[in-house]
This record gives sequence, C-alpha cells and structure tokens, in this order.
Amino acid sequence: MEFDLENSLTGFDAAVSALFAAESDHTPSFIGFESTDVRFSLRRHSLSLISQAQSSYKFDGYTAYLAGNYIDRFLSEQAVMENKPWMVRILVIASLSLAAKMRNVDLSLSDIQRDVGIIFDAQSIHRMELLILDALKWRLRSITPFSFLHLFTSVFQLGDSSLTQSLKQRASDIIFSTQCEIKLFEYKPSVIAVSALLCAADELIPLQFSSCLAAISECQYLNKEELMNALAVMREMLIEGRESTVGSEPCSMLTPQSVLECERTSSQCETPTNQDRDNINKQRLSDLRDDHTFQISQVQWC
Amino acid sequence: MEKYEKLEKVGEGTYGKVYRAKDKATGQLVALKKTRLEMDEEGIPPTALREISLLKMLSHSLYIVRLLCVEHIDKNGKPFLYLVFEYLDTDLKKFIDSHRKGPNARPLPPSLIQSFLYQLCKGVAHCHSHGVLHRDLKPQNLLVDKEKGILKIADLGLGRAFTVPMKSYTHEIVTLWYRAPEVLLGSTHYSTAVDMWSVGCIFAEMVRRQALFPGDSEFQQLLYIFRLVGTPTDKQWPGVTSLRDWHVYPQWEPQNLASAVPALGPDGVDLLANMLKFNPADRISAKAALDHPYFDSLDKSQF
Repeated sequence: MEFDLENSLTGFDAAVSALFAAESDHTPSFIGFESTDVRFSLRRHSLSLISQAQSSYKFDGYTAYLAGNYIDRFLSEQAVMENKPWMVRILVIASLSLAAKMRNVDLSLSDIQRDVGIIFDAQSIHRMELLILDALKWRLRSITPFSFLHLFTSVFQLGDSSLTQSLKQRASDIIFSTQCEIKLFEYKPSVIAVSALLCAADELIPLQFSSCLAAISECQYLNKEELMNALAVMREMLIEGRESTVGSEPCSMLTPQSVLECERTSSQCETPTNQDRDNINKQRLSDLRDDHTFQISQVQWC
Repeated sequence: MEKYEKLEKVGEGTYGKVYRAKDKATGQLVALKKTRLEMDEEGIPPTALREISLLKMLSHSLYIVRLLCVEHIDKNGKPFLYLVFEYLDTDLKKFIDSHRKGPNARPLPPSLIQSFLYQLCKGVAHCHSHGVLHRDLKPQNLLVDKEKGILKIADLGLGRAFTVPMKSYTHEIVTLWYRAPEVLLGSTHYSTAVDMWSVGCIFAEMVRRQALFPGDSEFQQLLYIFRLVGTPTDKQWPGVTSLRDWHVYPQWEPQNLASAVPALGPDGVDLLANMLKFNPADRISAKAALDHPYFDSLDKSQF
C-alpha cells in the first residue's frame, strides 16, 4: 500500500524522480519543537503502545510502522498542549485502524482497546480517524524508507537474489527498530533506507561495503553528507542496541534516559494487569463520559 | 464547506452530484464532487480511503485532474464527503461534439489531436508507473481546458472507491465503447494494456469525431471490433479461444485501419494499430507510445 516502485524500475525514470520529489510531503518535521514539547512524550507513549499491541496480536510490522508514521505526521501538524492518557490511546487506535484499512489487514481493534485500557465508542474513533486524515491531507500512501529499499538494492547490483533478499530483510528490521529514534527524525525516508541498507551490508557482506557505498553515492538524489551523518547515527544505535542486549522489537531502542523519562512522566506507560483492567476500564469510561466530546475537539483546536 | 460558494450544478455524475464552485478566499474555480459516505461500524470504508489516497498520490502529475482537498460534513447526521478538484471548463466528449455538429462543425486540428494524445499518454504512463490502472478511460473522463489546450485524466479510481454501478444516476448506461477485448471476453488477469486499448479508441474518435466501436452490448461491442481489426485467432493471440466469454464468431478479415481514420497520416495509423493489438502483450505501452514517430513533429519541451 506504500508508494511502491517495484515493477517500474529500470533506471531512474520519471516515477523515481517524482518519488524523491514527494518524499518531503510525507516526512514529519519536529524541527523547531522545544525539547520539552509534550508531543515528544505523546509520540513515545504511542509508539510503545503500538509495539505492545503488535507483539500481543502479531500483526505485520509494516502496519505498525505505518500507524507510527501517521502518528508522527499528525503530531507534527497539530499543536497539542497536554499529554493525557486517553489522547495517546485514541490516537493509537485510530492510526492502527487507518493503517490496517490501507493494508487490508484484519485487526481486532476491540481487543487492542481492551488491552490498552480504554474502550472508545465507534463514533469517537471515526472522528479521530477524520482528524488524522485532515492533518495528513488524506495522503495515507506514505512514502516511507520501505518505498526505496527495492530501488537502492538494485543499485548495489549484487546479482545473487537470495543475498539481495537477506539484505532487504535485514535493512527492514533495522528500519523497524529505529523508528522511535528521535535523532533520525530529520532525515528523509530515502536517506534512512540507504543508511539501513548500508548497515545491513556492513553486517552481511562487509567486503562489499565500500563498493555498495560508492555505487549509492552516484545517486543524484542523495546528499552525501546527510547520508554519512544518518549512517553514523544509525550505526551508533545498532551498537548501543547490541550492547544493551535488548531484542530487535520496534521501540526497544529507547535510550536509558528516555525510558526513565517515560517512567517518570507518566505511569500510563505500564500495561494494566489483568486484574486491574476492569477497574481501569470503568474509571476511564466514566472520565470519558463527562467531557470526552470536549476533549476530542481539544485535539482539533488547541 | 463555507470556504466555497456553489455556482451551479454541472452534473449528476456516476457517484453523486458535481458542482462548479468558487473558493471564496482565492477566487479559484473548483469542481465539488459530493458523495455519500457509507459509514458502517468500521468507520471510513477502506476502499474510499485507499482510492482517495491514491488519487492524492497521483495528482502530483500535470496530466491528472488535481484533487485539491477532501472535506467531510455531517448533514442531518449523515456523513458526506466533498472531493474538491481543480476545475476545467469542458471534457473531451463535449469538445468533440462541438466539432461534429452545430455552427462550428469542423475537424479537430491535427496538431491538437497530437498534443491531446501526448498528454493522455503522459497521464496514463504516470498512473501505470505507480501500478495503477484507470480501467474506465473515455472522452467524458478527460477534462479539457480549451484556451490552453490542456487535457487531464479525471475520475481515477472512483469506480473502485464507490462501487461501479451498472447505470449512472442519470440512467446513462455505462459505456462499453472503450473497453478492451480481453475485458469483454471475461479475462480475469488484465493489466495496463486495457487502458491503452481505450487510448486507441479515444485517439481514433478525435480523428473521426465519432466513436470507433459504438456497441450497445458486450456481444455487439466485440462484433464492432472484429469487423474492423479481424476476428482474433489463437495464433495471433494465444489463449483467446479459452477465455471465459469466448464464443464462435464470424470470421472477419482485418480491414485496412487507415480507412477508418482517413484524415490520419501513416505514423498516426501505425501508432493506432499498435494500440489496437488484440494480444495485450503486443499492445504498445504508454511509455513507448510517447516515443513513437507520430509525436516527432510535436514540440515536447512544452510538456
């Protein structure tokens, strides 16, 4: 469902240049936000909820990634003043719902809602969907790093298709695992894609790394300096990730500090245990009944 | 919706009403397509979501009618979507009609036909390079700016977003005239070539000022095609006789295509013949068509 050029590539033709030209429209920009901006913590909580939901319900990584992309783009378009638990949850539910529809994937939203501790009525979710659609200008076919993987692997000219497959696979895993990293935010999807492929090449075919780098540097659409910076950030993250021996699950690469912040700023980071869940449901639902229309519209106007 | 001032209803399209309207802030003319949003328990229907976002993606091209924005409103509790498109003053059907009858009846200038066809192929190539088929190309779906000589493809994907009805709101029967033979014969795997067949029919219609294959049923439609280009054989189009809706047809020999488009030069006839190849695999692609000698005399720098 992404912008996929798999079948059209015989070189850098018009479709490819259109892809590069359009990618900035799909890139969230948090540049200029204060580091204390509440949207950073909203984002962190959202992505970690999505990651939890994904590991519980085993839906595909790309659906989760896409939902994360919608959240990022929504937050970079919308001013949000406060981080309320219900906001994160409805944002996550509506984004997952949109991503699943785009991907034609069946997701049990009611199960996921039960897990995250709030059950919203259908109308609220639909309104939230529309708010996201407006903010994203209905551009749900996101241009993501995945849109570029095929293109750039073909530039490597590895010949061996099983090798190309493993390279793409490893690069995809890297992209999933680094979605949370705020330091990679300023880079365009194409740059993330190339960095991930180069990291993967470095791991899988270290002897060919420099020829891959040379081949990719020829690409007129890439800024080499930007690429080298992104590559350095990504490498560092991968090393940190290995050292802290966390698994390769998305969002497991929060830095120790950001995890602490998360714990400190909100207890909503915790998943409710089974015995708590009913109580929490009741409590949250009554919260919602009081002023939830007002709160939803707050997302829209503040 | 208060951003727009509705000027007049310009049509009752297949999917709902169409208005000409003006953006109050900028004065820009727009076409508003109003469509009922069938919200069920799932909220926004996935097909509408996918197709509108597709349109949004493709409207980067100059040769696709631009979807400016999408507005949703609740009217008496019923959700509606307004798709706001750029406005063009006419469509190719009306444009051809105005050249066929009335006080100004005259052939379309050959250089205009060439330019329109080039723009059409550009737009189709853009869709195809993104893996998107139009599937319903016809002169009514091609909007034209008469003054500037611009042609753009409209109604992309709306067929899938809002389910294709057999009859439109105006009870106009959905036309078969531009439908490729593989579709008429019930092939289940059809591809970009279906659009190129339609492009060929539209090309011929611009030259003739009347439809090339004006069938009124699927069977009739096939007979029209076979009478001109010959009844296809398995040799020419492997597998044709095993297609779902294949019957035994009279055996017609191919006619001289130039006789159907007497005003067209040999390069044009050659391009048309390549667009009307029976075997979809042999039919020219939009991208290849752009490089055909027919366009050699066209100043391509303007596109």
